[in-house]
Amino acid sequence: MFKRVLLANRGEIALRVQRTCRELGIETVAVYSEPDRNALHVRNADAAVCIGPGPATESYLVIEKIIEAAKATGADAIHPGYGFLSENARFADACDEAGITFIGPPASAMRAMGDKVSARKLMEEAGVPIVPGANDIDPNDLEFATAEAKRVGFPLLVKAASGGGGRGIRVVERLEDLEGAMRASGAEAASSFGDATIFLEHYVSPARHIEVQIMADAHGNVRAYGERECSVQRRHQKLLEEAPSVAVTPELRAKLCEAAVAAAKSCGYRNAGTVEFLMDPNGEFFFLEMNARLQVEHPVTELVYGVDLVHQQLLVAAGEAIPDPETDPVPPPRGWAIEARINGEDPYQNFIPSLGLVEYFEAPLGPGTRFDTMLFSGLDVPVFYDSMLGKLIVWAETRDDALRRMRRALDDLLIAGIDTNIPFHHALISNPEFIAGDIHTGWLESRFEMPAPIEDDPRETTALIAAALATEIIRARGGSGAPTAAAGSKWQRVHRQAAANLNVGSQGATGWQRATVS
Amino acid sequence: MAARHRFVIGGRERVVLIDEVDGRTTVTIDDGDPIEVDPTASGIPGLFSLVANGSPSRAYVSRRAQGFDVTVDGRRFEVAPAGAARGRGVVGGAEDTLGRVSSPLAGVVVSINVEVGEAVETGHLLCVVEAMKMQNEVHAPHPGTISALHAAPGARVERGDLLLEYTPTED
Repeated sequence: MFKRVLLANRGEIALRVQRTCRELGIETVAVYSEPDRNALHVRNADAAVCIGPGPATESYLVIEKIIEAAKATGADAIHPGYGFLSENARFADACDEAGITFIGPPASAMRAMGDKVSARKLMEEAGVPIVPGANDIDPNDLEFATAEAKRVGFPLLVKAASGGGGRGIRVVERLEDLEGAMRASGAEAASSFGDATIFLEHYVSPARHIEVQIMADAHGNVRAYGERECSVQRRHQKLLEEAPSVAVTPELRAKLCEAAVAAAKSCGYRNAGTVEFLMDPNGEFFFLEMNARLQVEHPVTELVYGVDLVHQQLLVAAGEAIPDPETDPVPPPRGWAIEARINGEDPYQNFIPSLGLVEYFEAPLGPGTRFDTMLFSGLDVPVFYDSMLGKLIVWAETRDDALRRMRRALDDLLIAGIDTNIPFHHALISNPEFIAGDIHTGWLESRFEMPAPIEDDPRETTALIAAALATEIIRARGGSGAPTAAAGSKWQRVHRQAAANLNVGSQGATGWQRATVS
Repeated sequence: MAARHRFVIGGRERVVLIDEVDGRTTVTIDDGDPIEVDPTASGIPGLFSLVANGSPSRAYVSRRAQGFDVTVDGRRFEVAPAGAARGRGVVGGAEDTLGRVSSPLAGVVVSINVEVGEAVETGHLLCVVEAMKMQNEVHAPHPGTISALHAAPGARVERGDLLLEYTPTED
């Protein structure tokens, strides 16, 4: 096993990986950008290296700086987390060249899966169902494309072969719109990815986003840990995930897992990976893409299968074997897990990002409750990265119980100083269609509306009383007007108690505490 | 002796009266019935636990330039002292007073798209503020001529920070 693992990431995932390393007695190296100096995973690391200023292109995305940090600190392996360099084949190559183990798939598997057209061809050969379509279209060859489009059928999607993140995708409803879509998609692909090649795909709609977690070792063992339901999305961003899915029967699960294992084997995959499928209302499923990394939503799988996926990643990367699924099959999922992504954004103002000083934070605790987060009271959330503050994950025996537990845990979660999407999650898990499991990838944007804040909210009364008390405390402390109630009264004692604490009324205009740099 | 506080919350002015009766704290909001409140400020500055008419609740009070932000069970309320100038710009440009444009959110100024002396129409792109990988355009709320720039590309701004000023054109 490794002695020292460098965490080439930040935020909650750096902490998540670090926790397993610490449990296994593996030392960790944190790399951090200047605004992340105060991050929890930096404090908890055995060594820490600053790799530059805030923008990721000057820090977390600079391969040379990370390799250099690994060499300088004697790390024998690098865990890339998700995002940043996690699916960058050049980074995997650079680790190899430096004699450091990359905890992830081989670069060749990343390359095979990174190109959408080559992945489609691989899957076809491996017998994995793919969305009916046409590969390798020259955006200038309308005649060929027209013939292929008629074969594929409408509506269809025009996609960039080397695309990602929703870019270079056009929906075409009618033949006469094909030419314009091809030109737009090709141009976008050429400018974003340096490759104008496009392909056509039948538009499966409505469809669920169902993905299968796999783990593959170097000894030919590939284990599939069932499905995750990730259909609740806004602008291609997942917001809530579940395991298992209401739409997947044990028979269907066996078929999905079989397809995912075949997909992993077709490209010589190793380590943790996710095979994404679109599934139509009849339970027909089609390969979408393979994510060559640990996913954000991996905890729901961990909870229903009782595994530590990061532990398995480390074992596999160190060359050890995982149990053979033939002789030691993966058991069925137990209970139900739901993950809510808690983002710094204002749900009442079109989800505009909200960030800055987290003045106070209280995590939900209790049975079946897990909160993977980078938050602590006093963290100044940097502006350079994504808006996810943490993932609230609950487990219970049934989906209904899990939803009730999620509601309770959301009530317990207190994040003050910035806005969060907690009210959105409350509304989502109270929505009848969501509760019925009647969802698809377009559901949130077409069917769900964020309810306006309620009128005469009883919380408003609490807010007014608290504001009045705070005003009294500040007056008592600052001397700008004497406190107005009789000395020795109950709430006068409250003043003294609060004023005796540090900071009150003395920390400038923007907060009780401003302890961190940003 | 009672203490009287006037706040604006949710666009409405509210009067909060705190009083002591027989050693017990009562709060009256506007013309409502008195609420008996047992408050404690915890060891954490800003964190309050209230038992109001027997019903417990908790609130975290953040100080702001004008008044407070109070977070109660996942909902944040802006509570400003009544009579004060407008609090922080909530949605930036549109909420600003005439002649001023403030940042709609905390972030980094990516670009300033106008120069001093430039005449702009309503909706003209003034600058771009980026936060969490999202670019947010700030548009002119009113026609006018740019009179001063208060931010430069690369600058970190808080929500409500002044970005630029303009001389409004008469309607």
